[in-house]
Amino acid sequence: MKRIFVLFAAFTLMAFVLPQKRKIKIYLIGDSTVCDYEPTRAPITGWGMPFKYFFDSSVTIDNRAKGGRSTRTFISETRWQPIADSLQKGDYVLMQFGHNDEAKEPQYKDRYTPVPDYKTNLAKFITETRAKGATPVLITPVSRMRFKDRVAQETHVEYTAAVYEVAKQYNVPLIDLDKKSRELYQQMGEENTKLLFMQLAPGEHPSYPDGQKDNTHFNEYGARRMAELVLQGLKEAKVELVNHVVNQKG
Amino acid sequence: MKKVCFVALLFLTAFALPPKKTKVWLIGDSTMSIKEVRAYPETGWGMPFQYFFDSTIVVDDRAKNGRSTGTFLSEGLWGPVVENMNEGDYVFIQFGHNDEVETKKSYTTKEQFVANLARYVTESRAKKAIPILITPVARRKFDAGGKIVGTHDVYSQLVRDVAKTLNVPLIDLDAKGKELYQQLGPESSKYLFNYLQPGEHPNYPEGKADDTHFSELGARKIAEMVLAEIKALNLPLVQHIYQPAKK
Repeated sequence: MKRIFVLFAAFTLMAFVLPQKRKIKIYLIGDSTVCDYEPTRAPITGWGMPFKYFFDSSVTIDNRAKGGRSTRTFISETRWQPIADSLQKGDYVLMQFGHNDEAKEPQYKDRYTPVPDYKTNLAKFITETRAKGATPVLITPVSRMRFKDRVAQETHVEYTAAVYEVAKQYNVPLIDLDKKSRELYQQMGEENTKLLFMQLAPGEHPSYPDGQKDNTHFNEYGARRMAELVLQGLKEAKVELVNHVVNQKG
Repeated sequence: MKKVCFVALLFLTAFALPPKKTKVWLIGDSTMSIKEVRAYPETGWGMPFQYFFDSTIVVDDRAKNGRSTGTFLSEGLWGPVVENMNEGDYVFIQFGHNDEVETKKSYTTKEQFVANLARYVTESRAKKAIPILITPVARRKFDAGGKIVGTHDVYSQLVRDVAKTLNVPLIDLDAKGKELYQQLGPESSKYLFNYLQPGEHPNYPEGKADDTHFSELGARKIAEMVLAEIKALNLPLVQHIYQPAKK
């Protein structure tokens, strides 16, 4: 009788305890360097794609990044609000914008976002994430490939500086992916860095019959290297999330 | 009369639909196989290869880590492939890595290797499928002077011999792979392989320096090479290579 009672009590307790082990959700918000792609567009790959395999089963990654979006259009197209609505305590929002915010050319005026607005929009993501008890993480825009005299050049100066300012003002963990990626390009050198990007000879890959010479978007290899840098940044910033990376205890 | 036409049309449609899909079977070892997530970023070349074709083709990658021509047969991995093979299917056969090593359980003598390859070819042809032989894809090995060194010389030659004797289309991935690695050189060719610093990738906390298994990049480059050879051989499969919609 005692046994049955204990067993029953244990089950009753479990019913309350187990559902609390809800999965942590990581939302990725950003642009084409982060987003998921259809297999027919391979080998183009956003870093969110390999990134999702870094975590154990206590975490789900929801990659909401979308090509061509700036902080402004991400909000105006109602891509942010559904995330803000569904965020729960303990979730994370990793944000990386800039490529489209900084596009000053006339053909990109639909996405261009001046620095002050860019900062305001990032602050909105941060504030609304925190309001839900979730954790925001800021990521500087991943560097484009541009070498001058064999030196990897900064390609997002103003907007990366803006991310730093927002991170400081709101005391948000920051991953300087702009710097980390540039350091990787420098280390690999001008020729080998092309191996990270969508650089294809004509006829090499069926999805791109005319070839590609793209210094912004990553192939599957580059995307994985970027995802590794983001993970390294999470560790350096001591974000608790790293305890949910696979093989951490091994 | 109109009704007859309609019925005739329906009747025809019943035969015309659904269009039969051609299968491209891949049989081989770890350099070709689909990896489990916990082995990422190690990638078999069959993984990117499956996206190279249009919707009339299904790539069925049955390659398995550690298998030789012998163990692929003895473990019953070949049986279901033959059973489900249809006329017009393709069978890409790439073994050698695990056949040629005498200390491995999967070791296959030269005579047996030849006999097994011949069996894959003959049984595919009996099902009116089209076999293609592939030499074992090159490993990354350079001499002190930075010149690429062969690691499958004997078994690759056996594959070429079988291809010649049985008149089978041949893709020489050993030779082509070596050309690619030589072109990149001893340092840069590492990007094609599963080379990882300690702490770089969660699946390999201690790091990795693997001169046999590919990274995502290497697997895709090898897959592209196989596709280029399919074009060079002018296999009818060329008609079914994926084409993006014209802009």
